[in-house]
Amino acid sequence: MNDCGGCQPTQLDDFLGGKVKVNDYFSDNPLNWCTGCGNYGILAAIKRALASEQISPQNTLLCYDIGCNGNMSDKIQGYRHHGLHGRVLPFAAGASLANPNIKVIASGGDGGTLSEGMSHLVNSVRNDYNFTFLLHNNSNYALTRGQASATTRVGQKMSGRSEPVSIPPVNPSELVLSLGGTFVARTFSGDVKHMTDTIRAALKHQGFAFVEILQSCPTYNKATPHTWYQENVMDVCDIKNYDCTNYVQAMKVVDPMEEKIAIGVLYVKK
Amino acid sequence: MLSNRFIVKIGGESGQGIDSAGRILADSIKNAGYKVFGYREYPSIIKGGHASYQIDISDHEINSSSRNCDMVVGLSRLSIHKYLFDLNKGGILIHQIEELDLTKEEQDFVKKNGVQLVYLNALEIVQEIGGSRILVNIVLLGAIWEVLKLPKKYIEDAIKVEFADKPDLMKLDLIAIHEGANRLKNANLETCFNDTKPEKSWAQSFLTDGNESLAKGAVLAGARAFYGYPMTPATSILTYLADWQKETGMIVKQAEDEITAAQMTTGSSFAGIRAFTATSGGGFDLMTETVSLNGMTETPFVCVLGQRPGPSTGLPTWTAQSDLNLAIYSGHGEYPKIVLAASDAVSAYQLMQRGFNLADKFQVPVIILTDKQIAESVFNVVHYPKPLQIERGLVDAKGLNKLAPEDRYKTTTSGVSPRWLPGQSPATFVANSDEHGPDGSVTEEAEEVLEIFEKRMRKLKSIEKELKEPDLYGQEVADISFVAWGSTKNTILDVMSYLHTKKLYRKMNLLHFEEIYPVKTQKFLDFVKKNKHVILVEGNYFGQFGALLKQKTGYDFKEKLLKYNGRPFFAEDILDYLKIK
Repeated sequence: MNDCGGCQPTQLDDFLGGKVKVNDYFSDNPLNWCTGCGNYGILAAIKRALASEQISPQNTLLCYDIGCNGNMSDKIQGYRHHGLHGRVLPFAAGASLANPNIKVIASGGDGGTLSEGMSHLVNSVRNDYNFTFLLHNNSNYALTRGQASATTRVGQKMSGRSEPVSIPPVNPSELVLSLGGTFVARTFSGDVKHMTDTIRAALKHQGFAFVEILQSCPTYNKATPHTWYQENVMDVCDIKNYDCTNYVQAMKVVDPMEEKIAIGVLYVKK
Repeated sequence: MLSNRFIVKIGGESGQGIDSAGRILADSIKNAGYKVFGYREYPSIIKGGHASYQIDISDHEINSSSRNCDMVVGLSRLSIHKYLFDLNKGGILIHQIEELDLTKEEQDFVKKNGVQLVYLNALEIVQEIGGSRILVNIVLLGAIWEVLKLPKKYIEDAIKVEFADKPDLMKLDLIAIHEGANRLKNANLETCFNDTKPEKSWAQSFLTDGNESLAKGAVLAGARAFYGYPMTPATSILTYLADWQKETGMIVKQAEDEITAAQMTTGSSFAGIRAFTATSGGGFDLMTETVSLNGMTETPFVCVLGQRPGPSTGLPTWTAQSDLNLAIYSGHGEYPKIVLAASDAVSAYQLMQRGFNLADKFQVPVIILTDKQIAESVFNVVHYPKPLQIERGLVDAKGLNKLAPEDRYKTTTSGVSPRWLPGQSPATFVANSDEHGPDGSVTEEAEEVLEIFEKRMRKLKSIEKELKEPDLYGQEVADISFVAWGSTKNTILDVMSYLHTKKLYRKMNLLHFEEIYPVKTQKFLDFVKKNKHVILVEGNYFGQFGALLKQKTGYDFKEKLLKYNGRPFFAEDILDYLKIK
C-alpha cells in the first residue's frame, strides 16, 4: 500500500510535547458557532496539525474566506487575513508566492469556493500554488442563513428558492482531481483525529494541497449530520493495496456512486 | 500650423509594419540631433483598419502632437484618403497607388494647398530585391529619409540595431532603404524641414513610452511582484516586466482575471513584498471590492489605471481622462485612499516610486492614473531623475520583539498604526475585512467601532500634509491661465513654448496637478486669485477634476476646454480655442 501520509495516526505528544504546543494557538475570543457546528472540530484539528508539525504561530499565515469558516479568523493565533467572499485562493496564492518561508493555509466554504470563486479554484489547481486549502464543505451558505450551494444535495428545500434543489451537486474532490490536482484529500469534521492526520499530510505537500472537509451544519443541513458521515465514510487506509499515487484508482474512489464516501489522502502526484 | 516643428505621419493598415517603421524613423531622427515625439493611433483589431505613427520633430522639447502634418506616407489606399486633409500647405504625400483616384474635393485640396504628390512603387522594389511584402514599409522609410536629407548613417544604424539578430533580413532592409531613397533622388520636393536645426548632444537622449518608464519606475521602487491581466492600454506593462523578468527576478504573472490580479497583489503585499497590478477602466471596476478590502485591512495596495474612453468596452485603443471619479470613489464604504496621475514618461517613472512609498507609509490603496496618450506615445527623454529613497513604513528590527497583537491597529494621532510582516514577530494579528479592534478581532460595539473608524479617517489629515501642491509653469501672473492634470500638461506646455517664440506672444501659465486626491488647494486658490482668465483643460465630459476643486473650494470654472472623442489634445485645439492662428 502506498501511504501518502494520512495513515499514520498523530500522537498526543506530537502536539503537546514539542517546542510548539497546541495551546500556543489558543485565543481568548469566545467561539460563537452553533452548537454542533463542524468548525469546532476543524479548529481543533488545525491547531493540532500545526503544532504537531512544529510550525509556530509566528510562521503561519491563515487565510479565510467570508462565511462560517471565516469566523475562525479571530479565534486562533498566527498571522491571519479575513478577506473577500470567494477570493481567499488568489489572496493565499499571492501570499505564498511572496514569502515561501511561512506556512500558508487557506480556508473557504463551499459557497465561496464553488460559486463565487470557482474560477480561482480551477486556476489554483492548474498553477499548483504552494499552500494548503481546506474546503469547509457543509453543503449550504450557512452564514447568510441557509441558501443552497453547489454541493447541496438534490431534493433539499433551501432558503432563497421556490423549488427544491434539482441540479446534481458538484464533487469538489473529483473536480480538483480531474483538473490535475497534485494532492487531493477528504475528511470529515466529526473526526478530529482523522482531520489532524489529513491536514498534517497536506502541510507536508509541495504544491496545492486540497483537503475537502465534509462538515456538519446542524442548523441548515439536517440530512447529513456527523452520525451520518460516520456511517457513510470509508478510509482509503483500510482499502487493501490502495495506491494513492494511482490516478485511475483515485478517480474511481473519489465519487461514491452508491457506495461509501472515500476519505483520507486520495491522491498525491509523484 | 506650428513652425519649428516638422511632422511626418506614416499611415496604413494594422499589420503593415507601421509601428516598427515609426520606431526606426523616430530613433534615426533623434540620433541625427532632433527632438521627437511619437503619437500612435491604431484600431482595436489585429489586421486592417487605420493605423498611424506620427512623429513630430523639433529643435526644442515637445511632448504632444500637431493635428496636422507636413509629410504623409500612405501604405494603404484608405490611409491616403484619410490623412490627405491633415496636410499643411505645401505638404508631401508619398503613396504607392499607381492610379490614385482622388475625389473632386481631394483634388481641389491638393491644388489649393500645393500638396506635392509622390508615387513610389514600393511593392515592385520589394519584389525586385527579393523581400517579403511587409518590406514596403522599409522602402518608404528610405523615401522619407531622402526627403529629410539627413545623413544616411543614422537610418542605416537604426536598421542595424532593430534587426541585429536577423542578419539576412537586415541586409535586405538596408537595400530597401537605399532603393526607396534612390527613387526620390530627383523628385525635387520642397520641405520646410531644413529650417529646423539639429543639436548633436540630443543623440544622447533616449526614446521610451509611458508604460516602459512606468514599469522601470516600479522596478526601481523595489516591486518584487506584478500581477496583471491584458487590457489596453495597460497590457504592455505586463509585457515589459515579463521581458525583464530574468534580469529583475520579479514574480510576473498573468492572472485569470482582474479580481485575481488584485487579490494576488494584496496577498503578496500583505505577506511583505511590494507588488502591484495594472488595468484599464473595465478591469478596475472588477478590482474595486479589493480596493475597499485594503482600505479596511490597511494593507498597502498599488494599482495602475490606464485610462481609455468608456463607457464599457468603449474605444480600447484611444485615450481619455474620464476615470478620475472612478479612481477617487472606488470601493464601497468610507476610508482614505490616494490617487496620483502621471503626465508623461518621466512622471510615470517617478510616480510609481512615490506611489509605493505613500502606500507603505499610510497603509492605504494608491491608484496611479495614466492614459493611452502617456502609455503608448513615444517620449524623448534626456535622463531619468534620481530614484527615490524606498520608505517601507514598517516597524524596525529593534521594535519587533516588543510588539503585542493589539499594536497592529492601535489608536494613534496620525491614524497610522505600526505595521509588521507575517513571520517577523511572535505578536500575530488578523487583518480583518470585518470591522475590528486593535488586534483585528471582530467588533460590533459602538465605541470600539467609532474609535477604529476615526483612527483610519485621521490618516486623511496626515496624507494631506504629505501630498504635494501642484506645479506652476510660467510666471505667477499671466494673461491666459490653464489648470490641468495628467497628459494635457504636454500640449499646454508645447503651446506655451511655441507662443513664447513667436511674434504672437501670449503670457501664459499652467497650474498642473500630479497628486490629485486628496487634492491640495492652497496654491490653486492663490492661482485663481491672481490670474483673471483661467481655463480648465480636461479629456472628459464632466470636467471631473474641476468638479473636485469646486467641491473643495467652491471655485467655479467659467471656462472649460473639454475633449472626449478619444483623441488627445493637439496643439491646434488650444490655439483654436484661443483663436490664435
